[in-house]
Amino acid sequence: MKTTTVRVASASIAAMLSAAPALAQDMAALVEGARAEGMLTTIALPHDWCGYGDVIAGFREMYPFLEINELNPDAGSADELEAIRANMNNTGPQAPDVIDVGLAFGPAAQAEGLITPYMVSTWDTIPEGARDAEGHWYGDYYGVMSFIVNTDLVDNIPTSFEDLLKPEYVGQVALAGDPRASNQAILAVMAAGMARGAEPGAAAAQAGLEFFAELNASGNFVPVIGRTGTLAQGTTPILIQWDYNALSARDTLAGNPPVEVVVPSDAVLAGVYVQAISAHAPHPNAARLWMEYLYSDEGQLGWLAGYCHPIRFNDLAARGVIPQEMMDALPPAESYAAAVFPTLDQVNANRDAVVAGWDSVVGANVE
Amino acid sequence: MAQPRARIRLPLTWLGVVPFFVFVGLFLLLPTLYIVVGAFRSPEGGFTFGNILALNTPTILSAYWVSIKIAFWSSLIGCAVGFAMAAAVTVGAGPRWVKNPLLTFSGVASNFAGVPLAFAFIATIGPAGIITLYLRHEFGINLRLMGFNLLSTLGLVITYLFFQIPLMILIITPALEGLKREWKEAASILGATSFQYWRMVAFPILFPSILGTMALLFANAFGAVATAIALTGPSLNIAPILLYAQIRGDVLGSPNLGYALAFGMIVITGLANALYIVLRARSERWLK
Amino acid sequence: MTRLWSWGALLIGIAFFLMPLYGMTEFSLKMRRGEYSFDAYATVLADPRFQATFGYSVLMAVLTILCGVLLVVPTAFWVRLKLPGLRPWVEFITLLPLVIPSIVVVFGYIRLYNTSSWLPLTGSVTGTNILLMFGYTVLALPYMYRAVDTGLRTIDVATLTEAAQSLGAGWVTILARVILPNVLGAVLSGAFLTFAIVIGEFTMAALLDRPAFGPYMQLLGANRAYEPAALAVIAFAITWACMGLIQLVTRFSKHNRVAR
Repeated sequence: MKTTTVRVASASIAAMLSAAPALAQDMAALVEGARAEGMLTTIALPHDWCGYGDVIAGFREMYPFLEINELNPDAGSADELEAIRANMNNTGPQAPDVIDVGLAFGPAAQAEGLITPYMVSTWDTIPEGARDAEGHWYGDYYGVMSFIVNTDLVDNIPTSFEDLLKPEYVGQVALAGDPRASNQAILAVMAAGMARGAEPGAAAAQAGLEFFAELNASGNFVPVIGRTGTLAQGTTPILIQWDYNALSARDTLAGNPPVEVVVPSDAVLAGVYVQAISAHAPHPNAARLWMEYLYSDEGQLGWLAGYCHPIRFNDLAARGVIPQEMMDALPPAESYAAAVFPTLDQVNANRDAVVAGWDSVVGANVE
Repeated sequence: MAQPRARIRLPLTWLGVVPFFVFVGLFLLLPTLYIVVGAFRSPEGGFTFGNILALNTPTILSAYWVSIKIAFWSSLIGCAVGFAMAAAVTVGAGPRWVKNPLLTFSGVASNFAGVPLAFAFIATIGPAGIITLYLRHEFGINLRLMGFNLLSTLGLVITYLFFQIPLMILIITPALEGLKREWKEAASILGATSFQYWRMVAFPILFPSILGTMALLFANAFGAVATAIALTGPSLNIAPILLYAQIRGDVLGSPNLGYALAFGMIVITGLANALYIVLRARSERWLK
Repeated sequence: MTRLWSWGALLIGIAFFLMPLYGMTEFSLKMRRGEYSFDAYATVLADPRFQATFGYSVLMAVLTILCGVLLVVPTAFWVRLKLPGLRPWVEFITLLPLVIPSIVVVFGYIRLYNTSSWLPLTGSVTGTNILLMFGYTVLALPYMYRAVDTGLRTIDVATLTEAAQSLGAGWVTILARVILPNVLGAVLSGAFLTFAIVIGEFTMAALLDRPAFGPYMQLLGANRAYEPAALAVIAFAITWACMGLIQLVTRFSKHNRVAR
């Protein structure tokens, strides 16, 4: 008995001792490999989204020998997958190395063989529900659906989805995307459905569509894609979008006009995005180096500075490494306590139902 | 003896258009060939008409129909207004110094589309636009109660006119300038009024060019997507938006159906073009 | 009567154009709270990437115009002169770029001309620039062709050609010294349209990863309120000025034409 325990103990100690230098060696090898490659190609990373501008700048400072080639910041998740597909045989600078896509697109990309697995050194601190068991894709950050309100034009700030139906908000509420194509808008519909008590998934999609049908019939819904510009100009004084986009817009507007960001009280829907490395990446070492950086404390805090909750938030908070000013800049933590993380199946079912049903149920077809 | 020469001449005539067809083949037709091929291919890879038949749903048919309506009206009105403005500065009684600034402005305006154009219109005559609010506060005129809503097919047509009219102006001005002064003089010597000159001399000569430009305007509006998305995104369902949604988000669930959609758009454009060619052939019968 | 129609059409048209431009400009001046200011413009103009990307796009525009003219004028001339039966087909083909989304075209380019194909254009910067220029030419094809075709319609191509040939001119001379000067107005219209298209184009430049003005505008405007409006106004004004320059240059070269 004793001998076995000792043997097991010494085996595990030996494993630990060999693991630590292996990790350090891995990093050194990665850096050398990346140095030989000289470039990293990213896609769909607007600088105002989750503070990516500063995150990229931090990476550049850490590895000044790497040139960061940023593709198409306007790309949606499907565009990113298409970019990998189209550039399969292309090693030019048009081929992305890494992608950042909505949760539903991770498994889709994996099924098509577009991404290659990699487990970062902090792999164990990523929640299990937000990562692929074999390491093909892994959650990077999340946010919750919120309202951003132009307080110049709106006196009583709505605090819930039900509030939006009140007659005082006539001609003021809009989505921040096309509910037939945009991930953000499609999930906004699901959030509205969850506010009515429906289960996330197809049920919430149906309830959400009915909610928007009522919103449209009462004249509160403005059938235009809302942006920061239309929010400031006055056409869409109330926008439904991710909290990190809302908070970032608040910063950009700098009080002109003053806005307020509210997490609705009747439904807190969390949306997760995932990172992955392209299977046809021209610069695989640089890609892995990027992942190591993103999942290090520095990278994760960079996203938090952009108002996105990094996926390792709980781990960082438990270890007390989050600066107090950052915590204060976010909406109060109680709002996030009831956050619901829908599963992959629920997200897919919702998307199918919303896309198919929007035109007929909401019928915002104005003739 | 003349025979060998005739046989050699034929290939040389075709040689003149070879550069064009090679260029168009390599850089337009080949890259988009998989649309046509994909439209007839099933997910398993075999040949099928299934995708084309699957286009027969209310959503898709109404998307095509709305697109055709918007394209038709914006090209018709754009044609009329553009022609009037171009005529005013070339052969009409408008001031001549306006012509060059108008042409350069038309150049810029003809490509001013997408989000900036939509936003410009929203900021001006949208539900909370500056002119809308001004009319309401100063004159008590409520545009919405009068039935005007920018976020509708009518609003989209009006927004499209911003680039349709300049396009017409730019293309028809050289044709107007080609109207020889001698014809006007000859007509007036023979006793024709200005109206008769236009109806019997100028318009018939210009008609093929006007038709051709209208066909261009139709195709231009039919394929325009960025402005439509930005202005009436969540409310209107038109063919290019559906196509874009499929390409970017796979919302129809089948890439082959998306290809069929694009193929349908190409067919509609072809039909419009064929109609124009028939009309033009008729009007050209006595010309040349 | 004619005066009424002319002035009426002009005034209504100009009012229609000025209206949305006024709304947009008014909004772009509102960046500072409570008063009108040029803050949004200052932010935009201070960005070093503004000049770099705008310069690149202007250069590409000029090259695309040249490529388009070289491609379209001989073709339209030849079709009109020798192959009138081909006209409907050529016209249909030139309308295709309007309905085929450019995103499909550029993905096609990446698949067909990538580094492992028979024509690896994306492998080098020059190759990608050439590919982008060809893509722009395709986008401008409908307008350029229609403009040149309308222009050719107003001159008697057959007679001019025969006259030139009887004086001993070869094809290049005919095209360059007889046909082109006579359709210069139409070519200029096509050139304006091409210029505006290239300056504002986004999809092709973004996906081929070239530093053009379109992607820059998108990068700047994604989450901002006032800067995109200011940028649109600036782009409008500068493009207008560039076209004025093109027109000036062409007017000086017209001096050898006989006055009407």
